[in-house]
Amino acid sequence: MSPAPEPSPASRWRERSLDVALVLWPAFLAACAASLLFFAAVDPVLLRDAGPHWLAGLDREAGYALGFFFFWGVGAIASSLSVYLIRTGHRTAGGAPPAAS
Amino acid sequence: MSTARVVRVPEAETPSGFYAAAEKIYPREIRGRFSRLRQGAVVLLLGLFYGIAWLQWNGRQALLFDLPARKFHVFGLTLWPQDFLYLALLLIIAALSLFFFTALAGRLWCGYACPQTVWTELYTWIEQWTEGPRSRRMKLDRGPWTLQKLWRKGLKQLLWLALAAYTGFTFVGYFTPIRTLGTQIASLTLGPWASFWIFLYSLATYGNAGFLREQVCKYMCPYARFQSAMFDKNTLIISYDQARGEPRGARRRGSAPRPQGLGDCIDCTLCVQVCPTGIDIRQGLQYECIACGACIDACDDVMDKMGTPRGLIRYTTEHAVHGTATHVLRVRILVYAALLITIAGALVYSLATRTPLILDVIRDRNALYREVAGERIENAYTLKVINLDERPHSYRLAASGIVQLTVMAPTGLITAPPGAVSALPARLQAPAGAAAGVHRIVLTLSAVDAPRIVVHENARFIGPTP
Repeated sequence: MSPAPEPSPASRWRERSLDVALVLWPAFLAACAASLLFFAAVDPVLLRDAGPHWLAGLDREAGYALGFFFFWGVGAIASSLSVYLIRTGHRTAGGAPPAAS
Repeated sequence: MSTARVVRVPEAETPSGFYAAAEKIYPREIRGRFSRLRQGAVVLLLGLFYGIAWLQWNGRQALLFDLPARKFHVFGLTLWPQDFLYLALLLIIAALSLFFFTALAGRLWCGYACPQTVWTELYTWIEQWTEGPRSRRMKLDRGPWTLQKLWRKGLKQLLWLALAAYTGFTFVGYFTPIRTLGTQIASLTLGPWASFWIFLYSLATYGNAGFLREQVCKYMCPYARFQSAMFDKNTLIISYDQARGEPRGARRRGSAPRPQGLGDCIDCTLCVQVCPTGIDIRQGLQYECIACGACIDACDDVMDKMGTPRGLIRYTTEHAVHGTATHVLRVRILVYAALLITIAGALVYSLATRTPLILDVIRDRNALYREVAGERIENAYTLKVINLDERPHSYRLAASGIVQLTVMAPTGLITAPPGAVSALPARLQAPAGAAAGVHRIVLTLSAVDAPRIVVHENARFIGPTP
């Protein structure tokens, strides 16, 4: 089996940018669902009042936004680990990860 | 050429060139039955989206998910975080409907109702209006930057951006009152968060409908990958009739194909040119196909011109393609329908019988009971009263379950502002003779200003052991 040809910078960049999309997009979807469930049960104003003093002064909208970005960040960490593990793992026989069929 | 159906699955990934380079797709404009259907869907759905935001109901916005105030206005109904069950039911109904319609008629959602399709269609109209039909657009892109190109491209971008901005504004208008939002924009006093979300959703609209388009369906959409799980051989799919079409080849208009050793397909590739995802339907069912029906319209048109019957590409089922009977009613459909009807019924029933008042009764944990003057036993409780109506109410508490059970506190009216959770202490007394042991009692809270609002809550009343 001949070694795979060295990927061109353009295709490498495309792969990287698609990896970034693969990380951010599922995390975004998960963050939407998590924010919906979480803020249906918890009022961010109550969290602020119970939290550290530097949170004081934030209003509810800021709370929703911070919560959303927090969930997005956590989701992105999980997705990026998944992508990293898939990219760096041993490939199955045939040189490709198991294909969906 | 073989007539076997080729079913392409997502391509196995190879180490290099993980993804095919996305080539720009220039969908050819098309007229026909299914295009009209989709245009109708676009007008209807976008009309609803842009219109409902401005609808008023009893002096306020009819549909408003007022996140800053933590309450949802749905026409005559006001929902609070305590009503989360309804939202959950609604989401389950939405998911089940998707399953049901997918099993029945394939990717109806993708072809006609998905926001990605609907806004892409609108953006494509703008593109066709400013840059012209497919061939002109391709020529324009290849050609040098002339004044003409600059003008056409500039106008397209301007219209796209304006539409994106208005879409972002409308979207945020469902979460904060749109009229206030409008005046804030007009007077340049828009808050930072509202500005940020409007910008973000405008950007998403512009990017998704202007540039990503079919790539959203091909690379980003989870539904596109698992929709085949809802498919069976009775599901409507768009399919090219291999047996009738092959071997494909060019022939003179009106000439009979068979004597020339040809099938009905004249290989004009119009079905490929109109495809918004850039696939060739003649290669069989593919997961990129969003079932928009553009290829059917294109092919029907060609078949009419060639004098051969329509339907070389058509809505059909796998059973029908193989000449066996198609069953609409089958276990899968019946199960989805039964679940859908049950849950929708539960939602309608619970909404119709919803009382905008919640009463929680918590027994005092410090003492089981207290003996008070006059041979009476007293129990203490904490009441949690949640007024889920839009306006404040006054309530009166009553108790029953033991003879001469009386409410000692609160004796006056309990007032609760809308959406508020009020906790208040309550004391009940019963004669010692009747109170021995543990009793099940019922506390009744009724609004004095609205006879419809009454809730009953079970509680325990504990007396001395007999």
